[in-house]
Amino acid sequence: MTTATLAPAARTDVRRREASLGDAIRWETRKLRAQLRSKALLIGSLVAPIAVVVVVGAQSRPPKDSLFGRFSTVNGFAMALLVLGFASQWILPLVTAVVAGDIFASEDQHGTWKTVLTRSVSRSRLFWAKVVVAIVFGLLALVLLAAATIGASLLIVGHGPLIGLSGQVIQPSTALPLVAASWATMAPPLVAFTCLALLFSVWSRNAAVGIAAPVVIAMVMQLVGSLGGVEAIRPYLLTTPFEAWHGLLAEPRFTGPILDGAATSAVWAAVSLLAAFLVVRHRDITGG
Amino acid sequence: MTKTAAVGAAVDVVGVTKMYGPLVAVDDVSVRVAPGEVYGILGPNGAGKTTLLRMLFGLIRPDGGEIRVFGRTWDEAGVHTLDDVAGFIESPKFYPYLTGRQNLEGLALLDGSGLPERIDEVLEVVDLTGRDGDKVGGYSYGMRQRLGVAASLLRSPGLLVLDEPANGLDPAGIRDMRALVKRLAASGLTVLLSSHHMDEVEEICDNVTIMNRGTVAFHGTIDDLRAMAPDPGHVLRTGDDTQAMSIGRTRHPAVGVEHAPEGGLVATGSERDLAAYVADLVRAEVPLLAFTPTRTPLDALFFMLTDARPDDVHLPREKQVVR
Amino acid sequence: MRRFVISLVAAIAVVLAVGGAVVAGSGGGSSITRARLERSLPATFSNLYAQRATLLGHGGITPESLHASAMCDKGGAVEPDVGAGSNWNCLVSWTDPTNPMPPEGYGKLELQVHSNGCYTASAPSKLVGFATLTDTKGREVTNPVAEFDGCFDPNGDNTPTGVELPSLLSVTTTALRPDSTGHVAIQVTCGTGAGGCQGTVTATAGDADLGTVPVTVHEEQTETFSFPTAVPHRAPEVTFTFHLTTGVGPTKPVTLEMPPG
Repeated sequence: MTTATLAPAARTDVRRREASLGDAIRWETRKLRAQLRSKALLIGSLVAPIAVVVVVGAQSRPPKDSLFGRFSTVNGFAMALLVLGFASQWILPLVTAVVAGDIFASEDQHGTWKTVLTRSVSRSRLFWAKVVVAIVFGLLALVLLAAATIGASLLIVGHGPLIGLSGQVIQPSTALPLVAASWATMAPPLVAFTCLALLFSVWSRNAAVGIAAPVVIAMVMQLVGSLGGVEAIRPYLLTTPFEAWHGLLAEPRFTGPILDGAATSAVWAAVSLLAAFLVVRHRDITGG
Repeated sequence: MTKTAAVGAAVDVVGVTKMYGPLVAVDDVSVRVAPGEVYGILGPNGAGKTTLLRMLFGLIRPDGGEIRVFGRTWDEAGVHTLDDVAGFIESPKFYPYLTGRQNLEGLALLDGSGLPERIDEVLEVVDLTGRDGDKVGGYSYGMRQRLGVAASLLRSPGLLVLDEPANGLDPAGIRDMRALVKRLAASGLTVLLSSHHMDEVEEICDNVTIMNRGTVAFHGTIDDLRAMAPDPGHVLRTGDDTQAMSIGRTRHPAVGVEHAPEGGLVATGSERDLAAYVADLVRAEVPLLAFTPTRTPLDALFFMLTDARPDDVHLPREKQVVR
Repeated sequence: MRRFVISLVAAIAVVLAVGGAVVAGSGGGSSITRARLERSLPATFSNLYAQRATLLGHGGITPESLHASAMCDKGGAVEPDVGAGSNWNCLVSWTDPTNPMPPEGYGKLELQVHSNGCYTASAPSKLVGFATLTDTKGREVTNPVAEFDGCFDPNGDNTPTGVELPSLLSVTTTALRPDSTGHVAIQVTCGTGAGGCQGTVTATAGDADLGTVPVTVHEEQTETFSFPTAVPHRAPEVTFTFHLTTGVGPTKPVTLEMPPG
């Protein structure tokens, strides 16, 4: 060992600046950037849609079972919307949960709650930093997925006029913004699923649960929402907003489901975050 | 300030209690650490030392009592309670996928002060210069322990809280860690240290609190503790235990001679009485194979005060190497 | 692992409990209704039919010129016309000068309606052609109207459209089987439509009148009617003539052969 020592500082009522939300966000971002998983996910968001478009586009029989599947092999806009319908089933919840479901649980996994909470950052500030980073990451993944899907579809399959959900012909100049807007309507439910994953991450202290639970819930909701006889429950399900974009492709256009979906997502997000916040706030950090 | 809180105390714990369900982890414990001193909290595993330190750091909430750190409480000051404090609880934990330096840089961000230029300095203090670019996942236990100290020093604290700093280290690591703590204490830092090694506390600390099952079993200076220590016991190995025992019983009533459970004899008594007894054995031509102290007087006291059995605490072997 | 199971069970329990409460409270109300389908389907159909006409080079056909209207029904008279399911049928009537309609004046589309307000419809090939068609340039292209998807606004106008189209009565018996006394019976099916099928059917064998019996068949039901007079010996065939007051029957008399011997 060296003999270096630190000069003792004068100890008269030291008042330290508390770490700001920005500091905490920078820290969380740095950790995320150092993780292979998050980088792989972003690259996957960019590459996977291209592969899907190539494979589906090469089919001799178009996948007629899905909305817009009928023309997906001949029309790029239809392809982009087919992939959208497919992605919203459970891929979007999974993509966002990979980071959100892990972001709190990883502190338990590495035993680092005590490491960060013995610095000058309050629990609530750390909590909000993680929330912001997880949501921004989820939205970033969505933007990449959308850009890659739309770009690959138009380049590989083509960009002729699109037949809408009322049988109307949509010219390419109108179709492009509508397809982009359809992808954008994924944002509210995606954020809500992010918050749900955060709650599971906080509550379970286990990354596997934080990642898997939102996906399983999305699948269950998807199933329940597709059942006949219980349609009255649909407005309350978090998977319903994933289908709100249909109205944009109909004639006349209807946006009621998008607004309802945003409200539903907001309620789910708020309840999840509140519950997660209370758990973090009142938890005894005994492990690690 | 409450009437019980001492003005100027670095740490003032007053009547703190913590329950985990029906289990009382910490029961009405009070500890006062003056600025500049090195204070030891000693106790066997499960005595409540770590729970107490976690409460100090605000990681868990006490069910009763009050903790002031440089006059601040969590209820009043929130995270500012830790403004002048740093340390670690149990073994320090870091992000294994980040390098040592990245971990320190991140923690500096969370300190709100972001002092990257201090990082080199603290790395040098704990002798991790040159290894700071390696991922912490590849660090040895001792390196992580030292990185923990570095992370604490990064805050330039007035009070350093170390929970079992030597725990899990190899003998060389223990020696280095103690030397480091001593050096830091000498530089004027207040140190609050928990340990289950009596000799560690004895070597480093000015004042000590011995905890047992959540309560305070002893409170005072190391000198007070020494004064209370019983006579040391010695393991005696002879070629003829029967004769050795009878010599002890008949001629040296001041020396207690018992059969040791693991074989041989155990003799207890003052050093002077023991010397006379051993001299008698030699004179009686009892073959004398070994005469070694079982444990230090303070160890013996520790075991008396806490109902820990010696096996609970892995003292003897390590101690002999270190000393 | 314990937390995982608890999380999952709790989440599913909450979803089911809330869902059950909502369904119970609202009486299972669905946004999938007959009126919404009857507004959406003709519009979608017209747009696609006009595209088909363009592909085939049939001029002068626009979505508006078709004057399409629809009457939808789920599961016949026995089931309420509400909710998702694959047993929706819609009768769509339209006007295409190049493609005359059958006597009943409409075509029947079979719909699979999803709970999200989207549906897949398949149109009768005798009216709109098969899945692919040959366009004016000789290319084989997808027939846009043979099978198509559409979606309607789940919050859209839900007042009844008032469109009513008659049921179509059809004979399902293909070969007569007289009983031991020489009496014959005929089986008929009444299709989707308003009010079912009502009227009379008269059977004749050569000059012999086998009798007239009243016909009452509910929507999407099948009934058998037997005639009071026995078929004369060696009569080669029997002719059935329908007169319907409700619904549309076969416009020409139906003639069925008697079995030999």
